[in-house]
Amino acid sequence: MNPLLATLVAVFLITFLAAPTMGAGWFWDTGNGIGFAAFAGLLYLTITSNRRLDVRAHQVLSYAVLLLVIGHAFWFLLGDATAVEFIKFGAPDYMWLGIVSLILFIVLVTTANVPDRLRVHKTYPSFKYWHRVLTITVIGGAAYHIVVSNFYLGAWYQALLFAIISIGVCLGRNYWIRLGQIAIASPAVYLALSAALIVAFTGIRNLPA
Amino acid sequence: MKLVLISVLTAAGLVIVFGSPIAKEKPVRDFYYESPRPILPMSFAHEDHTTENCILCHHNYNDDTGGGPCMNCHTTTQEVWPLFERQFHDLCRSCHAEKAADNIDGGPPRHCIECHRGDDLP
Repeated sequence: MNPLLATLVAVFLITFLAAPTMGAGWFWDTGNGIGFAAFAGLLYLTITSNRRLDVRAHQVLSYAVLLLVIGHAFWFLLGDATAVEFIKFGAPDYMWLGIVSLILFIVLVTTANVPDRLRVHKTYPSFKYWHRVLTITVIGGAAYHIVVSNFYLGAWYQALLFAIISIGVCLGRNYWIRLGQIAIASPAVYLALSAALIVAFTGIRNLPA
Repeated sequence: MKLVLISVLTAAGLVIVFGSPIAKEKPVRDFYYESPRPILPMSFAHEDHTTENCILCHHNYNDDTGGGPCMNCHTTTQEVWPLFERQFHDLCRSCHAEKAADNIDGGPPRHCIECHRGDDLP
């Protein structure tokens, strides 16, 4: 199976393992579907990062992932006037970690591009090290944000599976680098597959009773 | 790219401070139910919940803690107040979500504004 499709399907499939028809209404389900697609994109960017990485393709796809990350946040902020109250002081820790992950992802993307990269990192190994550390932090924070918000991953085995794939992607680098060169999907393909899965995710959860 | 990101972050800041320009209803924080800090308004209609067992919410019938409307204790008692948001989110949202999981129209499980309207229903 295409690695991008496999990653997207794996993330969305876990949400359907328990209570597959439980929805929060089309508005919230679409917004959260965008979030799941963004998280899958983040995992895919990490899996495909090996020694033969096509840097330009990786960079361009990261912009598409960033678009969905920001889209996920703005969807709620613009569509539900109450949602903003959930990210102010006193918000639950999983919301704060979601915001921290979003900000760190922006830092991750912007500090990876020359000439900004050269301003931040004196050497290439230093850049690689911090890029990896930031990636693991972003995935960890986003996974916590998703799992602990406890809506689509309500069953313990869903949370466990989600944690396993997140940790596996973060710590399985020794395996990923042996995969050889994987042609990185274009942003158009990523966004089209994401759109199809978001529609399915929202549609199934909002079928008439 | 940097310009786009700066614009997006500025827009996010403006939405956080001034609220959404396109969302129709906006809740107003205030000292409802004599709460010590401003809280969001809430809607609850008993007549929409007549099929539920009273004890599900009115735990005081069972454990003899407090009495009268929920907010008598939940916004004014020092021990309970810090748990206010989590307790009501857990109680209300989980019940609505369970109904959604069973394909029953049980009201809004997560659309915040649906509950934080503040109309004073009986």
